[in-house]
Amino acid sequence: MLKRFLTLREGSIVVVTLITLIYFASSTPHFFTSANFKTLLPYFAPIAIMAAGEVFVMTLGEIDLSIGAMYLFTPFLYYKLDQAGLPIVPALIISLLVAMALGAFNGFAVAYIGIASFVATLGMLFVLDGVTLVISHSEQVTTPGTSVVGSTTFSQIFGGGTYSELIWAIVIVIALQVLLSFTRWGIYTVASGGNRLGASEAGINTKLVVVRNFTLCAVTAGFVGMLEAVRSSSASPDPSGSNAILFEAVSAVIIGGTLMTGGAGTVVGALIGALFLGILNDGLVIKGVNANYLDLYLGIAILIAMTVNVYVQRVRTGSGRGG
Amino acid sequence: MSTSSASEPDPAVADKTISDEQVVGPSSAPDDVLRVEHIAKSFGPTTALRDVNLHLRKGEVLGLLGDNGAGKSTLIKILSGFQKQDTGEMWIKGEPYAPKSVDEARSHGIDTVFQDLALVDQLTVFQNLFLQRERVHKPIPFLANALMRRDARRALDEIGIDIPSIDVPVARLSGGQRQAIAVARTISGDADIILLDEPLAAMGAKEGAMILDLIQRLREEGNVSIIMILHNYVHVFAACDRVSLIQDGVIALDKPTAETSVEELTEIVVEEYRRARLEAQVGVGSPAGNGASADAVPSADAVSSADASHSADASSGSDPGSAPGPPAG
Repeated sequence: MLKRFLTLREGSIVVVTLITLIYFASSTPHFFTSANFKTLLPYFAPIAIMAAGEVFVMTLGEIDLSIGAMYLFTPFLYYKLDQAGLPIVPALIISLLVAMALGAFNGFAVAYIGIASFVATLGMLFVLDGVTLVISHSEQVTTPGTSVVGSTTFSQIFGGGTYSELIWAIVIVIALQVLLSFTRWGIYTVASGGNRLGASEAGINTKLVVVRNFTLCAVTAGFVGMLEAVRSSSASPDPSGSNAILFEAVSAVIIGGTLMTGGAGTVVGALIGALFLGILNDGLVIKGVNANYLDLYLGIAILIAMTVNVYVQRVRTGSGRGG
Repeated sequence: MSTSSASEPDPAVADKTISDEQVVGPSSAPDDVLRVEHIAKSFGPTTALRDVNLHLRKGEVLGLLGDNGAGKSTLIKILSGFQKQDTGEMWIKGEPYAPKSVDEARSHGIDTVFQDLALVDQLTVFQNLFLQRERVHKPIPFLANALMRRDARRALDEIGIDIPSIDVPVARLSGGQRQAIAVARTISGDADIILLDEPLAAMGAKEGAMILDLIQRLREEGNVSIIMILHNYVHVFAACDRVSLIQDGVIALDKPTAETSVEELTEIVVEEYRRARLEAQVGVGSPAGNGASADAVPSADAVSSADASHSADASSGSDPGSAPGPPAG
């Protein structure tokens, strides 16, 4: 029974997350409070959305390292468009369209030019970080459409409301899990990640599959950048912060059960992975653990989760060694 | 049906001697479903196909033989739309045929089981069976999994392939079962021309017999025409109406199986090895290049049309013209 549950792709991380939850709930009285729940949200909702997009790229056996930079860049583009006189909603839409175009370029570089995705998106990472620093003159800006006092409907919807990001995370995760599991888009993504040559021999346009998944990944990252800029009503040109988010998103994807080698992915798993990271962070902070230990515990947790995943993959496919 | 061509002479051999002006042989007929003329394909400096002429009649099973690297798989990949030929033309049922993709080839009724099977290990049996031709709901195109499961089960039962569960990833299946699924995927489609690249590779005798039975049944029904690459001559004579042998990127022999024998086919291959060994011995000093290689081919034809006594001459080393031929592309 336990083995059967564990063979669910998300099974192992669900168990690990529950154990973590129970541990913190029993050891700190402040953990299960609504106030803490609200502080937990910004830890995990943005990561969950970015991870949801990254799942598609990693299911292809590729990786997108530029999502942190995309997250950083999009709010500044939005700010510039607003400064140029565009109303906020069209500015938001154009910003997201530009994020899509940049993602499509990532996909083009990988599928058509043949650059390894690690390298192509690393290049994009630096380009976008650089552009952001240039257009912002390294200065923090106030996000248009938000105000420090009071709030607008726009800001309530796009990240400002207490549960806004949570609702977006749940809606996006469900939508993308449906896309992955129940549509041609999803099955072509798995097929292209599992056996690129075989998928193309079967008639799938694998290059197009690559391009559209990088596009999807980029737009989720850009969207999270917008949500966070609206929530905090400001955007800071801080590449080190945004790249820390990149690593958290990738960690959530891997912990959630998506294989880096491609051919298998789960959006719900990534959400739970993000939740796990959020709980771990939040719980350690509440317990008063020295901040210096946070990364150490995070690293150990990722290694344990990966070990379990490799085992689970063996059980699933019945293959002798690893995935 | 196709064995009616047995009464015809063998122009394939005769034509080769007129060098460039080859026609498709045995002479093409109105009921040809597929015709291929003067196909050539190179990969950089390597010439895979030099000048291939081929035809396929309705309901016919054509066996394609040839040494490793002779160009069999390249030919299949061109026919299937996966690769594009450098020169040459193709027709399907009289219509010009120049597929840009596997998908387009499929829309013309040509479907292929590639050597690597094009299966995705992580997907289940039924997902692989319907890969790239998924059934979807309307108006929102979600996958119709229940429908595909049912149809997959039915298709496998009809074909008589024993797969324990259609919900397991194909990674868990044996080599023969995987092959069977790849074949089932192709024949359960709408294709009327099926290309099989080594359908019996990596298969035990029992599983191989299952696939051969399947092909035999398709042959009896006569609705689909089949080209398959084989290595085992026994399989050729068991399953094929006609056999074509590729050597050095051209069709060196094309005969109904009724008119040839295991001995004749073996002799050609033995001769090829003999030539290859001779080349290796004559080695560096002899002139090599494309001009010389053109000579090599008619000599192979001569062997194929002659009896064993001729090849005895060749073995004595009195055939220097063929010696400098390059190794098979």
